[in-house]
Amino acid sequence: MRGCLRRIFAVAQNTFLEAVRQKVFAVLLVFAPVLLGGASYFAEFSFQEQFKFLKDLSYAAISLTGLLVGLLGAAQLIPGEIERRTILTALCRPLRRWEFIAGKFFGLAGLLAGMVGIMGLTVWGLLGWKGLQLVGGEGADSAAIWAEAMDPRLIQAGLLIGVKLVVVAAIAVFFSTVATSTTFVIAMTLMVYLIGHLQSVAREQWLETGEAAHGVVRLFLAAVSFLVPDFNLYNLIDEIVAGNMVAWQSTLEVVGYSVVYVLILLTASSVVFEGRDI
Amino acid sequence: MGWFRGRVLAVEGLEMEVKPGEVFGLLGPNGSGKSTAMKMILGLLRPTSGQAEVCGYRAGTMAARRQIGFLPENPYFPNFLSGAELIRYYGKLSGMGGASLERKIRELLDLVRLGGEAGHRRLRTYSKGMLQRAGLAGALVGDPEILMLDEPTAGVDPAGSREIRDLILELKQRGKTVLFSSHLLEQVEDVADRVIILHRGQKLREGRLDELLTRRNEWEIKVVGLLENDRKEMRAWIEKRGARVVGEGAPRERLEDYFLRSLPEEENR
Repeated sequence: MRGCLRRIFAVAQNTFLEAVRQKVFAVLLVFAPVLLGGASYFAEFSFQEQFKFLKDLSYAAISLTGLLVGLLGAAQLIPGEIERRTILTALCRPLRRWEFIAGKFFGLAGLLAGMVGIMGLTVWGLLGWKGLQLVGGEGADSAAIWAEAMDPRLIQAGLLIGVKLVVVAAIAVFFSTVATSTTFVIAMTLMVYLIGHLQSVAREQWLETGEAAHGVVRLFLAAVSFLVPDFNLYNLIDEIVAGNMVAWQSTLEVVGYSVVYVLILLTASSVVFEGRDI
Repeated sequence: MGWFRGRVLAVEGLEMEVKPGEVFGLLGPNGSGKSTAMKMILGLLRPTSGQAEVCGYRAGTMAARRQIGFLPENPYFPNFLSGAELIRYYGKLSGMGGASLERKIRELLDLVRLGGEAGHRRLRTYSKGMLQRAGLAGALVGDPEILMLDEPTAGVDPAGSREIRDLILELKQRGKTVLFSSHLLEQVEDVADRVIILHRGQKLREGRLDELLTRRNEWEIKVVGLLENDRKEMRAWIEKRGARVVGEGAPRERLEDYFLRSLPEEENR
């Protein structure tokens, strides 16, 4: 067991190191100025509206940046290694294929966690800076401003974004074990991502149509309902940004749901990859 | 193989055995099935029928792969790593760690002449020959019994090629079994004990090099200091005994040896 964990860690560490040395974190140099620019607008609005705008912008930027890095990174994981033939020198070692998949995935998940963490801290710093600006204004309610600026619920939002990105990465890892081209992986993952946002609609349709719908339609709706993760669950992030209370229990339930999906996807990836000729 | 693509019969009816401690050459033109045979031994490809064993273990199993160090053809190593980091990564994948791994890294870098500053440079700055040597060190890190080298000298200049040849001979001295493929026949001749010749996935010939290449009905003597009159006399003496001179003349040096001898000492190392 120790040997197995050591091998997975070695692959994960190498995947993370590759991303760092290829300067993936440089993306963050674009992220911070975008937020700073956004923070300087809408000064004529109330502080609540300014904070809401800034949080909206920040979390959209984190999601988009993370989605791009996760998607492109995961799409390259296996096809890239096959194309460069570096996979041969790894898989000829006493390393199981599922260990390789797990290591690759955890390396990418570590990268995404690091990026979301750094971007989250940047957002927090920015909100603090905005708070300082607003507190200095005339007739400012400092307690209310600081409550908005240092809202601990933002940790919940960060956690939800992180797990959502990890699920997207796991979907891309699954497709990358089947495909030989990164374009296919990206296209399929994006398709599942979009369908995932309509998953609840498909599920309702499936439950409501009963025998009335055509067999193929029912089969399609059932497949979408069972196989595709429901990305609407992550809309809790919008609730948090809007200033509504979201219970930690709901957040942890979504995290648990994500973990189960990731495990299913990694298992399926390993099964597919096990039978693949390299 | 696969959807919408025709099936290719890469290797058919191949039977071979590599004995412990020998250097075994897989020869054949491009597309003859050398790399496919190696990948099947490693478990990277599954044969449609037949089987392979490595030190008594079924090919492709963890136990079998523990016995093998592999250097693929034209490998593109993770070029964001340094030579030392590459060996460390492969060492960890082979189950090594701690002080013993660090000691092994130093030892292997010295063996492939990448010690000192070179071992800590990124692989993207390496020449082709240095990359092959780093790959060879990576293949050796788990201390495997068998080394499989797929076209180890492809694209490498004569000096680098000679270095790899010397390394193979050194590994043989250390008791390692080496299975390597090449279509550069002169190099194979220098290092292999036995060879197998493949063509379109099938075995054409197999045997010890001295058995395959020695012309038993001819005899060759190298002489120094014989004058023209003595040579005439010798030819007459040979013909008197019913034998025939089929060739004579001053021997030529191999171009590779001449080239390497012409290089300055430091280039040749």
